Parts: sequence; C-alpha cells; structure tokens
Amino acid sequence: MDFPTFLQTVANSVVLGSIYATVAVGLALAFGVMQMANFAHGELFMGGAYVVYVLYALGGVPFPLAVVAAFPIIALLGMLTERFIFRPTRGNVLAGFMATAGLALILQVLVGQTWGVGLMRSIPTPYMAIAEFGPVRLGWQRLIIIPAAFIMMGGLWLFLHKTKWGKGLRACAQDPEAAAINGIGNNKMASLSMLIAGGFAGVSGALMAPILAVTPYMGHGIIVTAFVVVIVGGMASIEGAVLAAFLLGFIHTFTTTLFDAVVSTMVGVAFMALVLVVKPTGLLGRVKQ
Amino acid sequence: MRILLLIVVAALAVAAPYLVPEYYVEILVLFLINLLLASSYRLLTTTGDWSLSHVVLMGVGAYATALAAKLLGWPFWLGLPLAGVASAVIAAALVYPLLRTKGFGFFIASFAFGEFVRLIWVKFTNPFGGPRGMINIPTPELGSIDFFFATPYYYLTLVIVALCLWILYRIDRAALIGDVMKAIYMDEDLARSIGVKVNHYRAMAFITGGFFAGIAGALLAHRLGAIDPKNFDINVMVYLVIWVVVGGTKTFWGPFLGVIVMTIIFETSRPLLEWRPLLFGGILIFFLIFMPGGLESLLPKRWTSRGSSATEVTG
Amino acid sequence: MTAILRTDAVTMRFGGVTAVDQLTMEVMEGEIRGLIGPNGAGKTTSFNLISGALKPTSGRVFFRDQEISGRDAADIAELGVVRTFQRPALFGDFTVLRNLMVARHLHARESLLQAVLGSGRAMEAKNEGIAMDILRFIGLDKYAGMEAANLPYGHQRALNVAAALATEPKVLMLDEPVAGMNPVEKEAMTGLIRRLRDERGITIILVEHDMRTVMGVCERVTVLDFGKKLAEGTPREIANDPRVIEAYLGSEETVA
Repeated sequence: MDFPTFLQTVANSVVLGSIYATVAVGLALAFGVMQMANFAHGELFMGGAYVVYVLYALGGVPFPLAVVAAFPIIALLGMLTERFIFRPTRGNVLAGFMATAGLALILQVLVGQTWGVGLMRSIPTPYMAIAEFGPVRLGWQRLIIIPAAFIMMGGLWLFLHKTKWGKGLRACAQDPEAAAINGIGNNKMASLSMLIAGGFAGVSGALMAPILAVTPYMGHGIIVTAFVVVIVGGMASIEGAVLAAFLLGFIHTFTTTLFDAVVSTMVGVAFMALVLVVKPTGLLGRVKQ
Repeated sequence: MRILLLIVVAALAVAAPYLVPEYYVEILVLFLINLLLASSYRLLTTTGDWSLSHVVLMGVGAYATALAAKLLGWPFWLGLPLAGVASAVIAAALVYPLLRTKGFGFFIASFAFGEFVRLIWVKFTNPFGGPRGMINIPTPELGSIDFFFATPYYYLTLVIVALCLWILYRIDRAALIGDVMKAIYMDEDLARSIGVKVNHYRAMAFITGGFFAGIAGALLAHRLGAIDPKNFDINVMVYLVIWVVVGGTKTFWGPFLGVIVMTIIFETSRPLLEWRPLLFGGILIFFLIFMPGGLESLLPKRWTSRGSSATEVTG
Repeated sequence: MTAILRTDAVTMRFGGVTAVDQLTMEVMEGEIRGLIGPNGAGKTTSFNLISGALKPTSGRVFFRDQEISGRDAADIAELGVVRTFQRPALFGDFTVLRNLMVARHLHARESLLQAVLGSGRAMEAKNEGIAMDILRFIGLDKYAGMEAANLPYGHQRALNVAAALATEPKVLMLDEPVAGMNPVEKEAMTGLIRRLRDERGITIILVEHDMRTVMGVCERVTVLDFGKKLAEGTPREIANDPRVIEAYLGSEETVA
C-alpha cells in the first residue's frame, strides 16, 4: 500500500470509526445500566436512516434538520422499547434480548410495507462537494460525520459526568443497589439509557442515509459490528466501546481496501475471538463482583 | 399409559404420508428436520447457553454433505455422518472462545461467530458456491427406492430423526449428565463447588447439539437439492428460537410442542405474505413476556414429570 | 497432626479496597476451626480465596502440600476442599434426593456413551443408595422426594451441608451454617458438625457470627478485622483477648 492510499484509508477509518462509536455506545450504555440487551439496535439505526428518507428525500426538509429530527424520534422508539419490552422482562437478559429480536422483525415489516422493500438509493446526496487534504479526498457527506460524532460523544461525556441524571446512570452501571438508594429509580434510569441509545443509533443511521443503501434490512449490516465492538470494548464499558469502535473502524477499512467487505467482517470477528481468548473481559471491561 | 401414547404416535408417524395429501408430505419432511434441529438446540439451552450460531452449524452439515457428494462422489450414507462430524468439529472450534463468555456476551459472540462461518460460504464461490450456493445435490440411493419422491424420503428422514431423538432423549434422562447440565443452569456457583467442571459440560452440550444440527442439515440438503447461505442466516435462527420459546425448554418434549404449533401457524398464515415475520415477531414477544415457560408450562405437572423413579416428584 | 490447609500471606484487593490483608493461617487435620470477625472483616472473602471462587491478588494457599491458589473451584473441590454458601444454594427444581445425587458428581460420573447406552444405570442405582445414606446421616431422608425449593429454611441449610458431604471432602468450609436458625435447629447443626468430624474425620472451618455456636463447637478460633488476622487461639483465649473485645465493641456484635 503506498503512502497516499494509506492516508486515505486512515481518513476513511476515522469516519467509519465515528459511526461505529455512536452506534455502539448506546448498546453498551443500555446493557451496562440495566442489562438491556437490544437485538433491535440495528433497526434503530435503520429507523434513523428512514427519518432522513421520509423528511429529506420525500419531504424536502433540509438535511441537517432531518438528521437532528432523527434523535428525538428514534429516542422515543428506544423508550417505547424499554417500556414495553425491557421492563416486563427485567431480570431476564435472555428474554429481553430475544424479545427485541421479535421487535426487529416487526420493525422490518412495518417499514418495508410502508415505504417499500427494494433497494433505495434514492436519497440525493445533500453535500456533493469533496474536501481535499493533500492526497486525501473525502466527500463532505462523509467528512461531516467526524465532527458530528465527536460532538455527540462529547455531549454524552458531559452528560454522564456533569449532570445529576448522567451520574445516576453511571452509578447504576456500577452498582444498581446503591443507585436505587440514590432515589432516581430504576425505571427512569432504564428509560433514559434507552432514550440515549435510540437517539444515538438514530442519528448514526440518519448521517449514513445518503451513503448506504437504505432498506428495511440495513440493520443487519451494522448489528454484527455493533456486537463485536461491544464485546471487544468490554460489555458495559462506554469508553471501551469508543476505543473498540475506532479500532474496528481501522481494521474494517484497511481490510476492505486490501480485500473486500466480506473479508473485513470476518477479520473483525476473528479479532473479537482473539480478544476473548486473551482478555475475556474486553479491552476496558472489568469483572463485576 | 405412556407406552400407549408412544404406540399411537409411532403409528401415526408411520401412516402419515397416506393420511395427508401429497403436498403435505413435503411439509412433514421439513417438520421432522425442524424437530431434530429444535431438540438439538434444547440440549444447549439446558446449560443456559442460548447460542445464536446453531442454525449455522446446521449449514455446516449441509455444506459438508453437499461437497462430499458433488466433489468426492460420496453417497448419502457416508455424507450423513460426515455432516454430523463436520458440524461437531466446527462447534468445537467455536466453543473454545465462546466459553469465555456468558449471558449477553455469549449470545452476541455466538451470533458473530456464526456470521463468520456463514460469510465463508458467501465469500468463497469455490467451493461453496458463494451467495448463490450449491445446487444439484444428489438424492440418496438405496437399491431401487427413488428418494426423489417425498414419501420415501419421509420414511428415510423418520428413521434417522427418530434415532437421533432417541439419543438426545437418553442424554437428557441420564441422571449423571442431563441432571448435571440442568444443575449448571440452576446454580452455577453451587455446581462448581461440588466439583462440576462447568465448561466441560457447556462444551459437551454445544458440540453434541452441533452434531445433531449437522445431521439435520444433511437431511435438508439432500431434500432441497440446493442450499445457499440464506438458508442458514439470522432470520432462520430467530425462527428456531421462536419454536423453542413457544414450546418451552424445561422438558424434552417442549420443543416438539413448539415445532408442531409453529409449523401449523407457518403454513396457515401463508396468505399474510410479507406480514408474516411481523406475526412471528409478535408471537415471540408475547411468549417471552406472558408465557416464558412456553406452551408446556400450561400442561398439568403430572404430564411433564419424569415419573419413572418412585422418589422423583417433579421433572 | 499436620496442617491440612495453609494460607501464606494471602491478599485480596478489589480496586482500592483490601478485603483480605496478608492472611497467614494454618488449619490442622481434624480440627474444628472458627473464623470470626465483625462485618466486613473479610471472612467470606477468605473462604472465596481458599475455595477458588477468587484468585488472590498475592499470596498462596496450600492444601496438604499442594498449591491451590488461583485454581478453578471445581478442581479444588475435587482435591477435597469444599465450601457451602451463605445463602441456601440449591438446585431448586430438583427433589432433595436428586440434589444429593448430583452432588455425588465427583464420584459418579458418566460419559455420553454410557448415558445413551444406559450402561450407567447400575452406577445410578448405587449412587441413589449412597445419596439416601447421606440423607439419613443428616436426618433429611424423609424429605427425599420433596422439591428442594419447598424445604423449610433450616432444612435447606442442612441440605447444603449434605450436598457438600456428598463430595467426600477432606476439608469442609461452612459459611454461616446457623444463620437465621432457631435454637433447636442450631443444636442440630452443631451436633452435625461434631459428628462430621468425629465420625468422618472431616476438618471443619466455619465462618460464624453466632458466638455461642462458635464457642461451643470450635476448638480454635481465628479472628479477622479489616482483612487482617487479629488474634488466634482457643475460644476462651480470644473471648478474653482485649484486642478482640475492642474490635467487636466498635461493631454491633458482642463476644459471648
């Protein structure tokens, strides 16, 4: 690989890592706070993409507005998932997980029947310009993902460390019994984490809508990677998820450039297997007592 | 009483192809294969390991026998055990890193590993046929019997599946293995403290379950005549989970109930077309929230108890 | 007498907390040893370190002359060091008898082949017999067919001891065996503890808060405080030890 190609691949990796990070933190947060294992997380991503499809491609709403709108809409979807699926199955991680597998099917059918099932590249690219940094060329569409992701991560960090609710979430993840004494209440904690999970996954999907093929099944493509990122990062660790997301972004992008996308998924899984064998708790995970 | 029930069921099973219209015999073949798949999956669930790569292991068996038949000219009678062994070997390879995980980690790691194997079939057109898969898988041959037709194939499947189910039943009933596996699920720390090497049993369940999934895969491959990676993807896996959740996994017979009910629902809901997955998703959610023990939890306890030993009260 | 169990400066740190600090103790074969201390002193953590539930941050644990520190709990149980839990740990869906039969696991195992061919039947029958014997020894035989989860609390704790006994242990570590029991049940449990040592030669270590029980049945007592060994001696000696009294004065408990 020559140097310009190397730089280009690095740039692409950062973009991909940013998306992986915003998708995976929600998954890690929901699991860490309340042991909610969301199989339909890919469908939340898909939902965000469809928000852009409906608002921007069909409705003419400006792209940035459509992306921002994805947050509350999919956040609401996340909260509904918590209320109607995770709350009745609380205490049984398997039940919640499999139930969201059922939810995934439902969402796929609903979206497919409403807006059609075929390949949908009909989202016009809002930002056609291409930025150039020396030998590296990045379409603006991809470029904006980086600051968007960092703003969201930064916002999340501030929320988790500087606000009462955020600290409550962190306390809940460390020790649910102590957090319950704090008085914020498990239901609110669960609802809040799924709100964040939904919002983040939705915005990720929204940002990717002009780049990926928008279909009801696009969740399949992202969910395996999201799972791999969470395991490599360390199950409930948010910092771990971010680190693993960028790591995997690099692994996937370089492998795709050298081989193809199928091989890159396989290499990602193989990397996960390696991590499991060498450090089963993940890069930044800790064994809970 | 039990013996009577068994005789009735056996008689029905043998007479079945003559009791139903031609089209349905095909469904019965698939029903038997699914029964074996669900029963083999239940073995894993007894230790609490709900793997999401089980259907992929079925695919390993299917591809193994297809390759053996097409590339090596192996007859079905060799391909079948090969399929089981191939799946068991892949299962053994997967289980080593998988044992480092539990619960949520186990589910998603098993899903990822399953995808890894499946993507090998997608990527390597030679020899797996890539996304289009493999076609022209030969039918079994035995003397002058033409297994191309549904009815002879049904009897072939019936014999093989019955034998496999019997083995699975014996393992479940075995006090010193079946009980230990259930004990691991009930209280893993306690099991460890009495000397149970938990990972050994988890691996045993995973690999044995994988073996039988492979057998089911071989039966499928030779019936359909063609297989591709989509036959073994996550959607099919979720359906397997639905059968097992709907039926229940507490007793050996739970999955039977699940496969029967869901096969009926599957066939009768055809008019729903693309809305079907929504129905199944709804069924899964309903059962997990309102009837997590599955349909077998509705049966009177006496029916589901083990009953043969005088000192045992509950199953 | 020889030391059957020995810890050598065993330490357990969780993050910033040192739960067990350089614990060195020796238990002689055939002893009934008590391990006491105020809440949070590190008693159960010590059990966890010995039984293999936890891997020590530093230090070593020896069974006879074999190092067992950091080994898997199942391996340590196989060697003969078995513990019970503070909670009633049972295989709830099984009957009492089946609980025991599973607990015999170390001495009654079968391979897949044996299971399928049914050649394990004879072993299973023999296992059932031995399990019933143990239930008779403990006094739970008339509950053999009852679902374990339905046993009254005191009997559940007795079942825990029975299950541990089924493994044919050399060292039995009981974690608060009389917690939550009424005086009659406590008598039964202490009597059982003595019989286990007298009739079966098992070395017993118990963690307990109930001082009367500790004073009544233990021959030697080790006192922990803040993870460190504070004192060690006969029950009388430590009851009169000012350091021990002071440690307990700071807590809600009293030394008998």
